[in-house]
Amino acid sequence: MLLLECPYCGKRAESEFHCGGEAHIARPETPAELDDQAWAEYLYYRTNPKGLHAERWQHRHGCGRWFNALRDTVSDKVVETYKMGEPRPDASNANIPDPAKVRSA
Amino acid sequence: MAEIQLTSVEAFDGLLKPVGDVRPAGVRVRERSTLALATVMVRKGRRADLANRFSDAFGCALPDAGRRTEGNDLAFVSTGPGAWLACREHGGYEFSESLAETLSGLASVTDQSDAFAVLSLSGPRVKAVLAKGVFLDLGDAAFPEGHAAATQCGHVGVTLWRRPADEAGDPVYEVAMFRSYAESFWHWLSTSAAEYGLTVERAG
Ligand SMILES: [Zn+2]
Repeated sequence: MLLLECPYCGKRAESEFHCGGEAHIARPETPAELDDQAWAEYLYYRTNPKGLHAERWQHRHGCGRWFNALRDTVSDKVVETYKMGEPRPDASNANIPDPAKVRSA
Repeated sequence: MAEIQLTSVEAFDGLLKPVGDVRPAGVRVRERSTLALATVMVRKGRRADLANRFSDAFGCALPDAGRRTEGNDLAFVSTGPGAWLACREHGGYEFSESLAETLSGLASVTDQSDAFAVLSLSGPRVKAVLAKGVFLDLGDAAFPEGHAAATQCGHVGVTLWRRPADEAGDPVYEVAMFRSYAESFWHWLSTSAAEYGLTVERAG
């Protein structure tokens, strides 16, 4: 059984959770002013890194809250979970490439 | 207009019956049909005020995450950040009304008495049965009296809490679920408890 740490409830079985895709993607302030490419990038383009990935997760069958998790897409290890609104934790010592740098490479 | 006659029907009406060898039963089940229930959700930025109102009105602390507290003749179970399930024995529909008045301006209160079904589960083998459906450590060290959790049991979403041991010294847990899940939950419970024997105690 995989355990995920809900920031509110503590460690729970993975089956109580639901993944909501990549985290920290801000909705554009003025969607009407975007061209199709920029809108498509907001909707569909994701970093898809091999390594640490910040994701939105919901404790659907528990407290119901959304939170963020840093997960290693290679090992499936969840390095850290943190509350919505908190910045992505510094994972510089996790020895895994930063998705932002992966994207620009 | 014809007068409407509504008859109160318990969520587990016609479902609960003895299972397996009950001499003696490993598990005892009782529907908590007289419990009035309401959800309490704190208004933004009013948690400290709500905690004060709580201790003034009910003589108990607002329970933190994963806890249940009792005050006067009612109990509060934490169900998530800023959310609680309030319970009062024989509270009727008036319970949520008086609670909303008491917590006015600080929290939203919604009657849930007819929305949830609550079972009391006890007996010497109750932990063994719950271990088949709940992914939590329900041992005495990890989940003693006063602990509570919003989780799943037999894939049914439940709010679960532990009460003081009964007269026989056996652990007592109470499980609240949406009442339309009663049949599914009973299917899980009756199957899981069959090897230990299950008896039904009178609702109340
Ligand atoms: Zn949670």
